[in-house]
Amino acid sequence: MTGASAPRTLDMLKALGFTDAVSIPDAESRHLYQALIDDPGIEVYLPTREGEGIALAAGLWVGGRRPFLLIQNTGLMEAGDALRGCGIGPGIPLFLLVGWRGYPGATTGALPIDSAYPYTEPLFGAWGVPHRRLMGDEDLDVIEEMATLAADTSMPAAVLYGYGFTP
Amino acid sequence: MTMERLDLFRALAAARRDEIVITTMTATLQWPLVSRHELDFDFLAFGMGHAADFGLGLALARPERKVIVLKGDGGLLMSLGSLVTMGRYGPPNLLILLMENRGFEMTGGQDFAPDVDFVTLARGAGIEKAERIEDLAGVEAELPRLLAEPGPHFVVLPVANSELLPPVAHTDHAGRVTNLRRALGVS
Repeated sequence: MTGASAPRTLDMLKALGFTDAVSIPDAESRHLYQALIDDPGIEVYLPTREGEGIALAAGLWVGGRRPFLLIQNTGLMEAGDALRGCGIGPGIPLFLLVGWRGYPGATTGALPIDSAYPYTEPLFGAWGVPHRRLMGDEDLDVIEEMATLAADTSMPAAVLYGYGFTP
Repeated sequence: MTMERLDLFRALAAARRDEIVITTMTATLQWPLVSRHELDFDFLAFGMGHAADFGLGLALARPERKVIVLKGDGGLLMSLGSLVTMGRYGPPNLLILLMENRGFEMTGGQDFAPDVDFVTLARGAGIEKAERIEDLAGVEAELPRLLAEPGPHFVVLPVANSELLPPVAHTDHAGRVTNLRRALGVS
């Protein structure tokens, strides 16, 4: 488990037609965030909170752009109201790449377990937002799977990355 | 000094041409009394305080068209960081009209911090074209400039409301999104 390649992930996101990234990166996504910043093919916006970012992304989509969100699970928890109002409720197909804070520590037996770890997947279930795990390059196909699902159903869908992106 | 909100809406509806108008909370109840336009987007369900964030995204996506957001000061306090994001990314076609009534009208008028200076907050966040217009005559005089001049603009408007509010009857949120996209020519 060494994480997913940031350049390969970026290539996949561009091939899927994403035009904008709305991101408050975490430590695990910093390499992907930097790759996005360095590539002129995708506009990057850094809001101050995740709920703000979800609403911004919804506005971009309604206006005809194809945004995705790159945020951490902790921020997503606080942004539940925005996800409900600007994603699930009106049927806006937000694609979320979500960092799984707590996963590496929990799987290596480190104590105490970060409380962000156990709540994350049940929360997706409670919201009815489908998700898949991205743990390394071998899982990169889940990005296309969930981005396509979001577009086809016009509902949010997520990829949860458990390890960081590599340069 | 304050102006009646419905009078403000009438003045804006009279000056408005092909701009998108986003309303939220109590504004969604009264804006339809003065306007029926395919580019009206009255939407209760953004999530607390996020109408301007949505408007920012829409303005970035549609640079050829002015986006006007009618929102309240209580909502702004719930997403105050939005000002910083607008200060950094706010495009020339974004016009925020902040209705200042110093309370949460939708939930019974509970008042909050009486001395907050929203113009100073906006300027401090990087929105250079932040201003306050005190009365209806000022609004009528300045609207042509605000609609024509590149922004982003952030305008504080002290309002009161003495009209009986229509009941809340918002259900079809997905339909409102579909209608706006259709009006914008987005497939």
